[in-house]
Formats: sequence, C-alpha cells, structure tokens
Amino acid sequence: MSSITLSNLSKRFGAVDVIKGVDIAIEEGEFAVFVGPSGCGKSTLLRMIAGLEPISGGAFHLDGELMNDVSPDKRGIAMVFQSYALYPHMTVAENIGFSLDLKGIPKEEIRRRVGEVSEKLQLEAYLDRKPQALSGGQRQRVAIGRAIIKQPRVILFDEPLSNLDASLRVQMRAELQQLHRTTGATIVYVTHDQVEAMTLADRIVVLSGGQVMQADHPISLYKEPDNLFVGQFIGSPKMNAFPARVAAVENGAARIRTDDGWEVALGGFRSLNPGDRVSLGIRPEDLSLAGTGERADITVRAILSERLGMETYLSFETSGESAIARVAGDHRIDTGETVPLSINLDACHLFDTAGQAIRRGQI
Amino acid sequence: MAQVRETTTAAVTRYGLLLLISIYCIMPFLWLLVAALDPNAGLFLKIPDSVSFNSFFRVFFEEDGMLWLTNSLIVCGGATVLVLVLAGFGGYALSRTRAWWKRPFLYGIILIRVIPPTALIVPLYKIMLTCNQAIAGVVRPIAGPEYYRQVMRIFGFIDGYFGLILLLATMQLPLALWIMKTFFDTVSREYEEAAIMDGATFNQRLRRVLVPLAMPGLAAAGLFAFIAAWGDFLFPLTFISSPELRMLPIGIYSAFLRANQIDYGLLAAIAVIYTAPAIIAFALARRFLVQTFGGGLKG
Ligand SMILES: Nc1ncnc2c1ncn2[C@@H]1O[C@H](COP(=O)(O)OP(=O)(O)OP(=O)(O)O)[C@@H](O)[C@H]1O
Ligand SMILES: [Mg+2]
Repeated sequence: MSSITLSNLSKRFGAVDVIKGVDIAIEEGEFAVFVGPSGCGKSTLLRMIAGLEPISGGAFHLDGELMNDVSPDKRGIAMVFQSYALYPHMTVAENIGFSLDLKGIPKEEIRRRVGEVSEKLQLEAYLDRKPQALSGGQRQRVAIGRAIIKQPRVILFDEPLSNLDASLRVQMRAELQQLHRTTGATIVYVTHDQVEAMTLADRIVVLSGGQVMQADHPISLYKEPDNLFVGQFIGSPKMNAFPARVAAVENGAARIRTDDGWEVALGGFRSLNPGDRVSLGIRPEDLSLAGTGERADITVRAILSERLGMETYLSFETSGESAIARVAGDHRIDTGETVPLSINLDACHLFDTAGQAIRRGQI
Repeated sequence: MAQVRETTTAAVTRYGLLLLISIYCIMPFLWLLVAALDPNAGLFLKIPDSVSFNSFFRVFFEEDGMLWLTNSLIVCGGATVLVLVLAGFGGYALSRTRAWWKRPFLYGIILIRVIPPTALIVPLYKIMLTCNQAIAGVVRPIAGPEYYRQVMRIFGFIDGYFGLILLLATMQLPLALWIMKTFFDTVSREYEEAAIMDGATFNQRLRRVLVPLAMPGLAAAGLFAFIAAWGDFLFPLTFISSPELRMLPIGIYSAFLRANQIDYGLLAAIAVIYTAPAIIAFALARRFLVQTFGGGLKG
C-alpha cells in the first residue's frame, strides 16, 4: 500500500531510447493500468519499477523513498509475470512459499502462511499438485498467491490475462478486482486490452513511443482525451477522425467543414479562427441512424455493415480511410446504399494539426 | 471402422519379419552373455552345457579387470562431470547472450566434431606432450623424485588421468554445449526473474531453479558425453601407456591380442563388464530425459 512517483524516468537500450522521460504519480491503494500499443514500453516501465531493468535516468520514489538502486527483493514489490512463470518442479505450496523459504523462515510458519494465502485464493485442494496439473485460472491464482504472500507494498501485473480464453478472462477480471478490494494493495497492471483497462483501472496511463500520452480516470479519458492518439486508442471501434477546416466562427459556434464537404456547427470553441486546420473526432457511438422525418446531419454511402444483433457497425466511405458508425438495433444495410446519419454534436472532439485536443471554452 | 481384418498369413509374415530383425539385432549381445557364462565358449553361439561365472572371476582375479574398470570410470566419469559443468554454464550463457559472435562460435565448435579424431592425433599428441612437459616442470620440484611418477599419473597430460579427461571432455563439449544452449532457449527467462523477485541469490537461483529445470538437458548432454567417452578407444590407446592406467577397451584389446589361443569366454566377460556401465548410465539418465516440465507457463 504505497504511492509510486516516477519523475522524468528514462530507459535506453544501447542507442535506443525506449522510455523517454516519463512522469507518473500513482496513489496509495490505486489500481493503475498502463495501456498502449505493442512495443510502446509498457513492460519495460513495469520491469523498471520491479527492479529487473536498471533505470537509465530520472527517479523512482516509493513512499517518498528513492528506489533507483535498491535491489528487486528489497523494494517490497511483487510481480505476476505474463507467463506466470510458476516453478514447474515445485508443488503449489512450494511455489507459494518459495520466497519465505529463501528467507529462512521456519517450515511451520511457512506452512501456516501458505495455508492462509491458499485459503484466500481457494487453492487449498491443490497445494500438493504441480502447476502442470492446474487449469489456467488456478495457475493465475497460484501466481497471485506467490505475490501476496510477501505482503508487498505494490503488486505488478504484466498482461496476466493475455492468451486466456474469453470467458476465463471475464472471471479472472472479477477476481482481480476482488483481490484489489480485499488487500488494498497498490496495483500496477499492464495490458493492451482496453476493456481490461477500462473495467479495472482507477487510473489509466496511456503510453505511446515511450511517453505518457495521458493519465486519468477511465471515464475522463474516454470523455476528454487530451489528444487524438488517446481518443483513438480508448474506445472500440476507434474514434473516427475527419480532416477538416474551420469555415467560420460566429457567436461562439464554430462551423467545421470536413474535406468530404459536410459541415457541423460546434458550440463552445472560442479559440478557433476561420481557416484553421483541425481534425474532427467523432466516436462511432455518437453517430446514429436518422429516423424518417428527422434531419440528417450527413448522408453517407455504406461500404459494409456488421450485424451483431443488438447493434450494427456500419462502415462508410470518406475521402480518407473509411469511418464507422455504431448504431443501435439490427439494421440490414447493403453495400452502396446511402444512409442518413445524425451526429451527437455535444460529443464531438476537435484536435489541432499536432493532434492536441482543442477544448471547449467556458460559455 | 475401416480397419481391415487381417489374415493369418499377413500376421505371421509381419511378426515373423519383426522377430527376424530383432534376432539379428540382439544376436551379438546374446552371444556375449552366453559366451561369458559358458565355461567352454567358442566362436559360435551354442547353448552352454553348464553355466559358470568363472570367466567373470578370471577378469577380476587373474586379469586386472577391477583396475581397468576403475580407470575407465574415473576418466569417463571425470570427463562427463567436466562436460556437464562447462556445458551447463556455457549453454546458459550462449542461450542468453546477444553477442555478435554467438552464431560463428556455435558453428565453429561443431567443426571439432566434424573432423575425425584420428586426423587430429598427431597435432594433439604434440600439444599434449608440450603441456605434459610444462606440468612436469611444476610437479618435479614439488613432488620430489620418489613421488614424481605417482603425481604425474594423476596430473600428467601423457600417461595421466588429467590429460585424458581434459581431452575426452573437449571432444564431447561441443555437442553438449549445443544441447544445453538449445535447451536453455526453451527455459523462459521469467523463471529466473520470478526467483529474483522472490529474493533468491545467484546461488539459490542456480541450485533451486535453474538446475532442476535444466535436468532433462543435463541428462541428455551427460549421457551422450559419457557414452561417447566410454566407447572411445583411440585416445586411451594413444595417451596411456602404463599398465596401472589401462582402461577397459584397451584391456579387452590386449586380452584379445595376448593369448596364442583366443579365450572367448574371458573376452565376452570383459565385454559384458564393459557394456554394463553404459546401460546403467542410460537407465539413470532416462528418468530425467522423459521428465517434462509443462505447466509453469501460461497457455
Ligand atoms: N533488452 C532490450 N534490448 C533492446 N531493446 C529492447 C529490449 N527490451 C525491449 N526493447 C525494446 O523496447 C521497446 C519496448 O518494449 P516493451 O517490451 O516494453 O514493449 P511493450 O509495450 O511491453 O510491448 P508488448 O505489448 O508487445 O508487450 C520495444 O521496441 C523493444 O524492441
Ligand atoms: Mg510487454
């Protein structure tokens, strides 16, 4: 249960900068999730916190204590590995108790504490089995047991749910949430699955190219992305970005004209000037079918419709890459059909040419 | 069921053929065993009139059988242990390093296996002789003249255990390194990192995590090294001359050459004694070879 502060942290492998000056603050007891595309440095950052990778620059404080050069086992941090890495030649009990055994704690005491942990994780029945004889979910619980028996200040997870089948993943997510509730430990969790990130996190840190793009509560990230990258990374299908230009600004409303030739008027953007180039970001769920008699904001030509039953994903043509609308209910839409769509104007986002969000000003 | 009910002829042919091949393969071993137990063994396989362990007794009491066996075990055992230690550490290092010379090195050492040892015997002898002289220069002043021979028998490069152990180990090391390197490639690094997080020191990681995980690889590498060293004839012949250091294969050979009349019973008994440790080695290694370590990793 401890706060983590990373200040201007960096990591280089030879000549390659992998982590480029990262500032992150994680509060005590928080469930923080690092997300980002493959290769953005999530695992590297986690391993730096664990002490498995030396820190090239910057500082890592745990509870205000500088941890840069403290050896991994002295940091009071436990890690659950992507592969779980349960020692295959040891039984479940030996796996869980290994760290205590290394410390030279008496056998009786180890047995007692392994008993406590296994009871908490419902592993009592499997204590004498080898990991080989366990299901995927049980293996994860052993891996967690091995971590929590150390009563760590922080638990790190590196993609613990990847390669598990979908139903098991849902179940394990629930177990992780419960673990967090019952232990109150600070958790740092790496994933590239944004559903995991959204459901588990108190704070999501979006990384890209070794830099923090934004760190915030999941819903804030979704509602107010700081930049186009975060906007497109969070949410599925991803946010549509239409290249556009500010056509006019009149009494507080900006008329935005996309390169496809349609226009929307967005209120509240004070700082815009006519002629500015922007990207208009619209989430697929903010596009809906315009009912008969309703005014359509845009009329588009369908490329593909995917019918999921409760909703329909409609891909449509634009001058750039195709965009997607996520419309409620089941609709049969043929390729080439023209479809009237209405836009939830309040939920539209604008980004400048550098990809930074342009915020609506106070009205 | 698409299976065709097989006719009696087909079955007889099949099993007959298998039997024939098995007999052909087993024959030499059978001959050895029967001849070793037959007090009147001859060149041809026959059912013995009586069974006696006389030939075995003669190997141990008339010949220097015990000595040969001990020498062979010391040399081959020593070479195997050396190979295991070097291949264990070396294979680990080769598996984990990203150094540019890794591939050239790995292919380079295979060359040692490609060249027939017989082709190397002259330069090897020269090298061993030079080393022997160097060692002798150290041993002579320390041990003094009365112990000089005894010490050189252990540490000498020519006509000494140490040189032969080193040589046999060198010949077996490349294959063992390859086996261990390939094996460690399959041992996830996360096991070690998990042990680091659990607070294991280098020693503890080695003893309690890496070695147990490496057991199947070590068993395979050790078995191959031991059997190859055990079966080697050329090096013991070339580099050992004193009768006190004579090894089993040379023992058989000298028994074969010496008598004006060949004593098949005795030869067969030595051969059986010679075969046994290789089979025992296999039996010991087998337990680890088949050991599979699934389940530590996800998926
Ligand atoms: N030991 C290393 N030497 C050189 N480069 C490395 C090393 N380890 C990682 N990298 C590089 O650092 C970058 C970040 O790697 P990292 O494993 O942290 O990515 P990640 O975000 O965890 O990706 P993934 O989602 O695929 O696991 C990658 O481009 C990788 O190639
Ligand atoms: Mg990773």
